[in-house]
Amino acid sequence: MSLFWHYAPSLLSGFGVTILCWAAGGALGLMLGFAIALIRRLRLAPVNGLIRVFIEIFRGTPFLVQLFLLYAGGPSIGLRLSATAAGILGLALYSSAYFAEIFRAGFAAVPAGQIEAAVSVGMAPIDTMMRVMLPGALIAAVPSIVNMLIILSKETVVLSIITVPELMYQVQTMAAETFTAFDAIFGMAVFYWLLVEVVSRAGARIEARVTAYLAHQGAPA
Amino acid sequence: MIELAKVMKSFGAHPVLRGVDLSVQRSEVVCLIGPSGSGKSTLLRCVNFLEPYDSGEIRIDGRLIGYEDKRDGTRGRMRTRTLREMRREIGMVFQHFNLWPHMTALGNVAEPLRRVRGLAMREAADRAMAMLTRVGLAAKAGAYPSRLSGGQQQRVAIARALAMQPRLMLFDEPTSALDPELVGEVLEVMKSLAAEGMTMLVVTHEMGFAAHVAGRIAFIDEGRIIDEGPPAHVFHESAEPRVRQFLQTYHDRNAF
Amino acid sequence: MKPEVILHSFGYLTRAAGATIAVSFAGIVLGFAIGSAICAARVSRRPWLRRAGAVYVSVFRGVPLLVQLLFIYYFLAEYGIDVPAIVAAVGALALSSAAYQAEILRGALNAVPRGQGEAATALGFSGLDIWRRILMPQALRISTPPLISEFILLLKASSLVSVVGIAELTRVSMNIASETYRPLEAYLAGGLFYLAINLCLAALGALAERRLGAPGAR
Repeated sequence: MSLFWHYAPSLLSGFGVTILCWAAGGALGLMLGFAIALIRRLRLAPVNGLIRVFIEIFRGTPFLVQLFLLYAGGPSIGLRLSATAAGILGLALYSSAYFAEIFRAGFAAVPAGQIEAAVSVGMAPIDTMMRVMLPGALIAAVPSIVNMLIILSKETVVLSIITVPELMYQVQTMAAETFTAFDAIFGMAVFYWLLVEVVSRAGARIEARVTAYLAHQGAPA
Repeated sequence: MIELAKVMKSFGAHPVLRGVDLSVQRSEVVCLIGPSGSGKSTLLRCVNFLEPYDSGEIRIDGRLIGYEDKRDGTRGRMRTRTLREMRREIGMVFQHFNLWPHMTALGNVAEPLRRVRGLAMREAADRAMAMLTRVGLAAKAGAYPSRLSGGQQQRVAIARALAMQPRLMLFDEPTSALDPELVGEVLEVMKSLAAEGMTMLVVTHEMGFAAHVAGRIAFIDEGRIIDEGPPAHVFHESAEPRVRQFLQTYHDRNAF
Repeated sequence: MKPEVILHSFGYLTRAAGATIAVSFAGIVLGFAIGSAICAARVSRRPWLRRAGAVYVSVFRGVPLLVQLLFIYYFLAEYGIDVPAIVAAVGALALSSAAYQAEILRGALNAVPRGQGEAATALGFSGLDIWRRILMPQALRISTPPLISEFILLLKASSLVSVVGIAELTRVSMNIASETYRPLEAYLAGGLFYLAINLCLAALGALAERRLGAPGAR
């Protein structure tokens, strides 16, 4: 136990790095994914083709391989990233492919009837998008977004393999130096289980709140 | 053959059956009619204990169903095995047919014969085929339910229940889910069953069927039987205002 | 960029692809067996079984796979059980996948219309027969597409077993990278192999979805 206190600073720093990577990666991924979903709606054939390839690649290959490509393979094309930067970029690109699909499904979930109603009443396209399409799409997307963010939080441990000094990395360092591998990993497991349970429940509550708020917002004026 | 005495049932805090008394004699056809939410389907489902009733007695040929009198005088739940045995003698036809989609028509009829009556494959198939012929669907024996019309599916469902050679049959709004032009074929089968002397308890909206085939009609509303008797009595002579009101809206909607 | 690197290592990578598929397949099959048991526990009438099942799902979906993998690896080492890394690898994949498969199966069971079980009950079927002849055949049909998706996910997750030294695609890519000093080509190659396998599986999944609208299934 005293060992724990000795390593507390590095564990805390590791936890900080985990949160940083998760938040930055998630935020970037959401923005990129949303941008992709919007661009897709412009229906430009060559662009959509490229987008399709992008999504297939980032959803069809393991996250670890993507990380290795960025971190170890990057320099070959002039991309020299620190481990943490590579980690954040990796999380962003990986999640953006999923978020793009989530937003796409969100847009598709808005009943055509609602758009027809807006059009037939003479609403400008931009207003239709902002007041009818988007709120509806976001309501539909919230559960999947929350789910993906939870998945992303679990993926951060993979960053330890490319030596990002996040929590898992610090735990393994501590374990190696003190020969307490089993206890350390067990602690890590318990920690993550509790974290995910708490975040899942909070997520469910946020989901409910956001859905109620957006539904109210998007209600016919 | 079926005796219901003071049957009561609630779903949670919501009472659905508030003391129902009814009896159905051997070879009698009794139709239960009434507005939605009156409890008629629930009552029917209590007869074969698909829904447990809270108090009162339901007896099939004198035997209490769902409960047993224990040695200390109290009433306990009937053993599953005994309940299953009793159910073998009761046939049920559902509003939504409930055919098993991964089996053919023949498969649907033969399966209970094999699993519940324990017949061998050959014998079950033969009996199933005979039943399908009985309802006029011999040609569709190898078809899957998704390829059959609603009326055909319901007839297969009737064949499935009949094949077990039950002593009585329960029908839960058998034609309510059918397109109007398909209702006739199902009613024909039911009429022929009645003519053969099958004891039937039918929940239905088909007043024509009730008027011509039923020996007795019971009108149920808010969990109680308000009036019952031969069709002529219920349709034309009932003194109960709720009955007259119910039948009035029926006449209004159907007179053209 | 030197594509020859990829060509030279093609045989090496193909064998590794085989290892990836084998490990993932073992994981999903074992995961199905365990997952069915967990699902049965989740829908059981006994409260303690339901609780146990729920806890299992919560734990194995909440803890990251890498942590699970290392835990099993060190757990076995701690208690002196000398097992090859492959056992830890397949075990971790199976235990993790079981949690997801249990939920898929549970969803499929719920999707079978209630009326079918009711008809069987009204006919006097025993509980076991209802399970075996009516519920399970349909639940399996309904769950086939999501199970194929799960297989694809497991295949990607299998890249993590590289950390315990299994010679699957990711590990082999790492080896090629360090031997040839061309990490970009090495990992691109590995990625392409994964992509190829996943595209085939996705096509299989699409086929399954179409076929399961066939006679019998809803």
